[in-house]
Amino acid sequence: MTVLRLLWRNRALIEVLVRRELDARYRASALGFFWSLLNPLLLLAVYAVVFTYIFSPRFPGADPYPLFLFSGLLPWLFFSGAVLDGSATLVDNGPLLAKVMCPPEIFPAVTVLSHLVHHLLALPVLLLAMVASAVLKLHPTPWTFPLVMVALIPWILVTGGAVFAVSALSVHYRDTRDLIGHLLNLLFFSSPIIYSLEGLQVPIVLHRILALNPLASLVVVYRDVVFAGTVSSPQTWLTAFAVGVIAWWLGARIFASFRETLVEAV
Amino acid sequence: MKGSIRFVDVRKVFRWRGVGTRHETIKGAFFHRAPRRQSLTAQEHVALDGVDLEVAPGEAVAIIGPNGSGKSTLLKLTGGILKPTAGSVEVEGRVTALIELGAGFHPEISGRENVVINGMLLGLERREIEERMQEIVDFADIGSFIDQPVKIYSSGMYVRLGFAVAVAADPDVLLIDEVLAVGDEAFTRRCLDRLARMRQRGVTMVLVSHDLDLVTSFADRALYLASGRVVAQGPADAVVARYRSDAVGAKDAAAEERRTSETESDRRWGNGDVEILGVELLVGDKPLRMVPSGGPCTVRIRYAVHRKVEDFVFGIAWHRADGTQVSGHNTDLGGLVPRRLAADGEVCCVYDSLQLAPGEYLVDVAVHARNGLAYDYWCDALEVRVTSEIDWPGVWSPPHRWLSDGPEWE
Repeated sequence: MTVLRLLWRNRALIEVLVRRELDARYRASALGFFWSLLNPLLLLAVYAVVFTYIFSPRFPGADPYPLFLFSGLLPWLFFSGAVLDGSATLVDNGPLLAKVMCPPEIFPAVTVLSHLVHHLLALPVLLLAMVASAVLKLHPTPWTFPLVMVALIPWILVTGGAVFAVSALSVHYRDTRDLIGHLLNLLFFSSPIIYSLEGLQVPIVLHRILALNPLASLVVVYRDVVFAGTVSSPQTWLTAFAVGVIAWWLGARIFASFRETLVEAV
Repeated sequence: MKGSIRFVDVRKVFRWRGVGTRHETIKGAFFHRAPRRQSLTAQEHVALDGVDLEVAPGEAVAIIGPNGSGKSTLLKLTGGILKPTAGSVEVEGRVTALIELGAGFHPEISGRENVVINGMLLGLERREIEERMQEIVDFADIGSFIDQPVKIYSSGMYVRLGFAVAVAADPDVLLIDEVLAVGDEAFTRRCLDRLARMRQRGVTMVLVSHDLDLVTSFADRALYLASGRVVAQGPADAVVARYRSDAVGAKDAAAEERRTSETESDRRWGNGDVEILGVELLVGDKPLRMVPSGGPCTVRIRYAVHRKVEDFVFGIAWHRADGTQVSGHNTDLGGLVPRRLAADGEVCCVYDSLQLAPGEYLVDVAVHARNGLAYDYWCDALEVRVTSEIDWPGVWSPPHRWLSDGPEWE
């Protein structure tokens, strides 16, 4: 909560820093901001071809598979992209931290927000794809799509918490960055992104373990509203929000415990 | 009070977390609950120990000392960038640090956007920055480059823009870490002039520098640090002299002292009926050694009367170190007719606008009889540094402008 208040107080600064981040990314590229739309579109095109013609996995309720995959992958890309950048954000801004007295919290926040902006820019592509496939009768229209804004909240909380933790840890332990890549990989395959838990043909023990993955509920909640056109059970929603809040709290806690020594270690 | 700084028994210890000091468990690392952490082979470095410092608003204090004595740490503690391990640091008002100029400029975006971001980091509102943008661009002297990405800037432009933003932040306390050493001569001169003007406005300054001449002309007081401890603290001249003698070695210093005391008698004479106790340059009510060209200042002469006199003249002569005479004036020429000089006191010569070209000046001060008999004649009683944005040649830099009809100009 104190973190939120601090971020709110520095919102003007965070705003210009996010804008800088976005500006800098597309500076000197001909298409500029269109890349935010184009990237997911191209990704979707590749998936559509690969998973329709080359091999087409079958999961109940996962038809058409490219769209199923895409709707699970989008929030994951937001999360993993922010976490990967988060491991470098404080180190990269080290000269600034050593020069100006500004709360270090703003840098992880900027990372999360700039990735959130990219994610929001990708949503129209997702909506368009859904509408198109509904028109082609491949798939019922997901009327619940606007609820994606609510489903994003636990994602933002989890991503925020993870980025806080990772950014502070990677200042003190430079091995964090290498570790993060592998942890993300593990998390990716244990989350129901490329498969759905219901249709999984695995030993019951493994199924149980996979169901324990904290991100599972977030993936399900998100994909239900944008792809399946249903709203998940209250229990799943509650789990997703609980995971979000706990992750945020834990991340903020870790950050706070390293805060004092950040400048010296950077 | 805004602009004051107070260090009480400050200690700063840096710890390196080596491989041997890893937290035993993730949990321990997260929750600060691992007492055994301290007992491990942590490497410690005491950067500052038992430092007390009090700086009044508007004062300029220089921190001197050999490399690694803790000067920059002290500056960073003042800026709130580091926290003391023990003791307390209190700083009132907005602090701006001139450390690593241009730090935080993003290479891909334009100078203008970087100025906005840097300014906001320094605590300005966006609106305030927009208002000062022209001033910043002018001072940085980078013209249309302001709208180009910072990555194509020369290192000089980079530093100039960094300096311009930092001083535009209008701080109550300004921290200066050797930044004047980075630019070319013209830039250094402009910076110095700007800093002199800020001093006049009453900005508190803490300066770290190895340039001891700058320290004596710039600072009221100095703090001499060695290995994190305060060796001496007091008037800049005295502390610098102490540091110099420590640096040269005690023996050479003694020789130096003898030499200066010999020249002392060549530079001062008189029968002693009236004694000049001290000469100060006042800029905005504060004794300084530095004055911006064209700015107001006052030379104050404090004297003691050992024998009553009825015939007396106070005089001041300005000249350059190479002997070039600049100006001389005295109370007689100023139309003051002496009647009696019986008690100690002071005499001030007020300059509404000191129109001297930038550079070092020496001031002779004397009190003598009208026939020239010296009571106390003191050569080079005062050293003054005049600063200006432009390095005018010569000794006189009057305000002026050019008018012309015939020639065509760009």
